[in-house]
Amino acid sequence: MAEIKGYDMPDELYYNKDHCWARVDGSRVTVGMSDFFQKEAGDIVFIDLPEEEDEVEQGEVCGKIQSRKWIGKIVAPVSGEIVEVNEELEEDTSLINTDPYGEGWILVIDASDLEEELENLIHGEAVVDFIEAEIKRAEEEKAKA
Amino acid sequence: MSTYWRLFRNTERSVSTAEGLSVDDTLPWSVAQGDSPPILHLYTFVPSVIVGKYQDIEAALKLDRCRARGVEFNRRSTGGGTVIMGPEVVALGFGFRADTPGFEPGISGIFRTVSGVLIRALETLGIRAVFQPKNDLEVGGKKIAGLSAANETGACLLFHTSLLVDFDVPLMLDIMNTPLIKVRDKGYSCFSRRMTTVRQELGRSIGVTTVMDAVQEAFEERFGIRFREDHPSARERDSIERFIKERYTREDWIFSHKHPRSRMGVGRLKTRGGLLEIYLSLAGASIENVVITGDFFSTPENVHRLENALKWTSAREERIRENLASVWEEDMIHGLDVPTLTRAILLAKENQMRL
Repeated sequence: MAEIKGYDMPDELYYNKDHCWARVDGSRVTVGMSDFFQKEAGDIVFIDLPEEEDEVEQGEVCGKIQSRKWIGKIVAPVSGEIVEVNEELEEDTSLINTDPYGEGWILVIDASDLEEELENLIHGEAVVDFIEAEIKRAEEEKAKA
Repeated sequence: MSTYWRLFRNTERSVSTAEGLSVDDTLPWSVAQGDSPPILHLYTFVPSVIVGKYQDIEAALKLDRCRARGVEFNRRSTGGGTVIMGPEVVALGFGFRADTPGFEPGISGIFRTVSGVLIRALETLGIRAVFQPKNDLEVGGKKIAGLSAANETGACLLFHTSLLVDFDVPLMLDIMNTPLIKVRDKGYSCFSRRMTTVRQELGRSIGVTTVMDAVQEAFEERFGIRFREDHPSARERDSIERFIKERYTREDWIFSHKHPRSRMGVGRLKTRGGLLEIYLSLAGASIENVVITGDFFSTPENVHRLENALKWTSAREERIRENLASVWEEDMIHGLDVPTLTRAILLAKENQMRL
């Protein structure tokens, strides 16, 4: 588990700029929201999940997530068919906050173009730069306010 | 050279929910197309009630009373709960890119930034409001404006605000379905003690256009820009028509079943500090609303601060305790402490019934 400035960002995962993570297991890609996202968003109160068998493209909005009075997007990190959604979340969305990389997983995609699309995601050392840039931007705007 | 943002300002007439919400949804869409700088939409609705995107409209409203009174109902695309709108409530829609200079990034940053603008607007009118993270603007512990947002289109966001210039409490009590309206708190309805308006705070009559002027100027001051009054372009008018037709006049949108289960529970607990009565509205596993009442000693500000710390948060015991502790100050409610208050809220949760 890599900790970057107080956020758990596991090394083995891939991330997109919309704060989704992707865990690769063969062609099966499990997707969730990162610890950075859940700490920033606060308590998740509703999740609008896609249907199984839906086809998604990398970068496409495949669900919605509400924290307090804000509704955000779940953006598919890879293309493919949604083969599983976490129905437990319909009963208890707080799993995304309490266990974002475990019980708080959101969906599984059977990826269609994995090798090429992983190149477009943030991984390894680049995760540190990504998180640090997000924090820096927040600090700069706060200072200006 | 000045940077210009666009302003759609409608003071000629109050608009239908379908029209107003469709214009608002067009704002981030248009900015995302690269056609427009940020757009501010200031207007008023006809008498209406609007629920949040993922609210159960049938649990939230007495639809037969709305129909009988000619009050429109609809569902917006942003989060949060029920708002009553009308000719004396300033509606604000704002479409912009999340990385617009001057905005703190992230969800809380964006809410803080827009709240700062509205606080400044109210200040110029002579009202000292504060931001209740992460929900509402308040004056002396009473809500004066509600904020909500959505990110539907690329990196562009829609921000909604309703700013109360005047407000019809009896109408609200008649058309809202939540059992919370039955709560009487020391002789007042719980809403009278928890809401205020621009006119009430100023103690005089003030027009909605004056409030709109103040909002417009506060935006200009905060972001160092000027507004240019404008109207939707042909492309934007097409989008507005599309949203009216495909979203805001469709039953499958208005009566959408994509929402958590609504439940309500009451908890009563005798404590050292007096009788504690908790009225809890649950949306799935989250607290949508809570009213803390009873015969204890406290101030409306302190009670509202505690209630607000719990709204739109998880109803798990540890989160209730953490959220209360995050705002708790010694003697906030005389003779009570966080564990006792948590216990009373859990009692209400245990007693929950389906609405």
